[in-house]
Amino acid sequence: MAALNLSTMSQEEVIQAVVDHGGEGITRCIQCNACASVCPVAKAGFPLFGRLLFRKLQTGHYEEIIEDPSSWACQACNRCTEICPRDARPFEIVFAFRRMQAEELAISTSAFTPLMNLHATGHAVYADSAKELRQSVGLPELPETSVADEKAQQEIQTLLENGPMGELGIF
Amino acid sequence: MEKCGIYLGCNIPFRAPDIEQSFTKVFPPLGIDLVTLEGATCCPAWGTAPSFDIDTWLAVSGRNINIAEQKDVDIMTGCNSCFGVMAEAKHMVEYNPARRKKLKESLSKIDRTFKGTSDVFHISHVLHNKIGLDTIKKNLKYTLKEFKIAVQPGCHILWPSEVMDIKEDNPFFPTMLKDLCQVLDADVPHYSALNGCCGMGAMRSTDQDKSFNLVKTKLFSMKEEINPDMIVTTCSSCYLQLDGAQKILRERGEIDFEIPVFYYTQLLALCMGFDAANVAAISETPRDHIIQKIQSEARLIKEVENEVA
Repeated sequence: MAALNLSTMSQEEVIQAVVDHGGEGITRCIQCNACASVCPVAKAGFPLFGRLLFRKLQTGHYEEIIEDPSSWACQACNRCTEICPRDARPFEIVFAFRRMQAEELAISTSAFTPLMNLHATGHAVYADSAKELRQSVGLPELPETSVADEKAQQEIQTLLENGPMGELGIF
Repeated sequence: MEKCGIYLGCNIPFRAPDIEQSFTKVFPPLGIDLVTLEGATCCPAWGTAPSFDIDTWLAVSGRNINIAEQKDVDIMTGCNSCFGVMAEAKHMVEYNPARRKKLKESLSKIDRTFKGTSDVFHISHVLHNKIGLDTIKKNLKYTLKEFKIAVQPGCHILWPSEVMDIKEDNPFFPTMLKDLCQVLDADVPHYSALNGCCGMGAMRSTDQDKSFNLVKTKLFSMKEEINPDMIVTTCSSCYLQLDGAQKILRERGEIDFEIPVFYYTQLLALCMGFDAANVAAISETPRDHIIQKIQSEARLIKEVENEVA
């Protein structure tokens, strides 16, 4: 995953980077802010969402927002996708921005533990305390998922390591 | 009996395994044979692969779907996030030939492929549209008459509706979970924050206080407008948030009430007569008192052959 060259990116290059990271609707956004009217990130009081985020990206003001954690609060709920009158698919733009942040390792620290868990066990959420909890309700210690299946763990590790995530050096 | 692959995800088997038990109890009597998806992994959760690289997301989801394909079954999951992640992944590869080609290349590295023959459903889709309300009604042992329920369907089962095979008429005014609770004879009034987000997931791990703003809005709307006996949800993340956050908010003095929370199939299992020690045993907000009321002589409709509580 080649790092983005923040300080020299032109407006066109920022827009192209958003498109390349899965946010091709960025060029269709007309700043109506319908997305924000239904957005939990906006409602909860995070500063960077909807048209402000999309305008910063459209105008190439990327460097000044790269550290902002708002995008990591996106619930991927897709209310915005449902109502956007321009089919800009705002959720996809937010996640494209997240992926650009991730390339710079401008990642919420809370993202690391689930990533490491996913790589090791195949499950983003896992704790050994689960064994006791499961037995207390009459279930086997572990489910028949990847958590107890070495071959499945090797498969998920292959999938994670052979993509751009493998190049970040986090596994 | 119809077969369906049961996809567990992470939160249900490791944090709320009594919900997993409720699946194993309720579905066979309702005519669904649960097929284990051995070796399934995380969907992958929104904060993992989908936040880094689309093709890695599709590969991990595609692998999970392929496990079901190999068993010739559809997938159903009780976690809204898992449902959203995998339904969107499947939709993306169905409409984007380049992504589909890349997915097959990725899966070939682990001797797998992707055929697209298995559909992804949420358990409430299966309960509402495949099993149907009449069949549920016939299997009930206890009635919820005169209980008032606040329903919480959760986000990913509602939006974006384009990726779903079974969907609400209007996702901003959902009715499926209301129907599923009404068939238990409960009263299910509307409240204004019905379609609001509970604040769990990425938001809670990014900023807990802001996340709690949302759950408080929801709890106050429920309490002030309809004063429910219980909250019922079909999302495991909403379950953990609504149940767990209430305890923290009470300790902080930010709320002065408690409303028991059930995942829908837990409540259904109780109404079908299954033992709460298996199907509704783990919660932060107490609910034993209401479980006792549900499974009482006075609420008995008829004897059924399920385990007697």
